[in-house]
Amino acid sequence: MKEYTQEERQEILAELLEVLKTVRTIDPARLEGVTEETDFLADMNAPSTELINIAVKVEQKFDVEFEDDDIDRLGSKVKDVIDLIILAKERG
Amino acid sequence: MADPKNPIYHETLVGDKPKQWLLHGATKRLLSYYHYHSPKVGVVASYTPQERDVKDHFGIFRGVDQIESFAQASIASCGTYSQCKKQNCKPDDLSDDFVPVFTHVGSVTFHNYLQKGETFINIGIIKFYKFRQMICDGRIYRVPSGLDLDEYFKNFTDERLLAYDLPKDFKLIAELFDITGIAIKKEIFNSL
Repeated sequence: MKEYTQEERQEILAELLEVLKTVRTIDPARLEGVTEETDFLADMNAPSTELINIAVKVEQKFDVEFEDDDIDRLGSKVKDVIDLIILAKERG
Repeated sequence: MADPKNPIYHETLVGDKPKQWLLHGATKRLLSYYHYHSPKVGVVASYTPQERDVKDHFGIFRGVDQIESFAQASIASCGTYSQCKKQNCKPDDLSDDFVPVFTHVGSVTFHNYLQKGETFINIGIIKFYKFRQMICDGRIYRVPSGLDLDEYFKNFTDERLLAYDLPKDFKLIAELFDITGIAIKKEIFNSL
């Protein structure tokens, strides 16, 4: 699997933030200073049910497809979503 | 060759018994019949409250039980049906690996009430289905006494379902939004 540089991960994070701006239940003020360690549930106050909605939006934005099992294993931090995007891109 | 007794080979839920699709035991199963089902669109399913359902509650079927009945008709039945179709397995096989979990209720507005013996229908409309999660909106209507619901919904259509196109003598009881359920892998459920 290709190793993504920190710069490439930052680019994914920037695009991910664009997705998160469209999520109704996330206060835009909580998107300031988001890092890979930011937690959707604890730091952004997103309802846990919102994670699937975010996953669907991410699929569209990054033109990738997630498996059901990916979502089962998905953690609640930003880095978990970035890792999943990379995994899905690698799978093609 | 497809086994005609295996419910996953049926085109819709209509004609099946809810107990074929739901894990709930008899006293917690608040669903009697499926009358219309369009797998990607929605469902119409009925229930008639029994004595045990209204006991110690003024003879009235509780609001939370209306929500439960609606969830059984929509996210539970339709979600199980869709997942079984996807995995080409029976509901029993699915329950070996997954636990159906009721995760979210959006808003519910009650307009009227239901008493013992008053048959009602749940009309569930599928808004979202992906990653084993289903979200439904819908309504509950009390139906005229003695009406043959199988006959009435025999020629029902998706368009009429989506428009809640029903006669005036169907009494609106409740409107429900964002009723959500998901099938979670057993090992994940057990680690919660």
